[in-house]
Amino acid sequence: MAQTPAADPRFAEIESHRPYLVRYALAQLRDAELAQETVQEALLAALEALPGFDGRSSLRTWLTAILRFKVIDAQRRIATDRRRLESTDGDEDGADEAWQDELFDETGHWRVAPRTWSDPESAFEQARFWEVFEKCLGRLPPAGGRVFFKREVLGEETRAICGAEGITESNCWVMLHRARLALRACLESNWFGEEAPRGG
Amino acid sequence: MADSDKVDCRKASWLLSVASERELTAQERQALREHLDRCLKCRNYEGQLKFLREASRRFGK
Repeated sequence: MAQTPAADPRFAEIESHRPYLVRYALAQLRDAELAQETVQEALLAALEALPGFDGRSSLRTWLTAILRFKVIDAQRRIATDRRRLESTDGDEDGADEAWQDELFDETGHWRVAPRTWSDPESAFEQARFWEVFEKCLGRLPPAGGRVFFKREVLGEETRAICGAEGITESNCWVMLHRARLALRACLESNWFGEEAPRGG
Repeated sequence: MADSDKVDCRKASWLLSVASERELTAQERQALREHLDRCLKCRNYEGQLKFLREASRRFGK
């Protein structure tokens, strides 16, 4: 370090924006430690770039712009780490696929929590339930719906189904996983939702 | 690597699903059990999977 950053009078001013920047980073990353680190990186980058800052935008705007890029970098690193972790697990659970991001947030929590289904058994007695069930089955993506139908409705073995579909077994598992998630969501909103008939 | 044993809802939902396709490892079973013990949402999902299985079976009859 040839020049000490503190020599610049704007150093203290930059520092005064730290709480705001941490809140900004936290909102994006939802991880306090990571947010602090990312802000630290952004501030160091800002100090290096400070001689080129012409003051045309406000200091806060300029710092936020730098932070935004650092946040994107951090998000990329998280995604890469997660992929690496899961691939060494040997699960091939399709964790890097975008469809999962619709169902789970960055911290792995349900975006819409599965609820407790009241008296599910009584559904079987109602003709209207089977109409809804059939409709939900029909809404599954074609290949996923086919695999699910063979597996759960016809009770075929996964190995045989994958063979017939010409896909790997782990691929098959991911398709089933996805189909189950989609089907339960469809039933929850179309049958176990508020308009669902109560009792038997 | 205690951290890699941690199971979140995303992972738990996968383990619950894949458990009907292959045997879970002892480590997976334990991690899943620990998650389910403290997560009502995933216990709900577990129940829903059982329901789906039963509904599908009956649908095919």
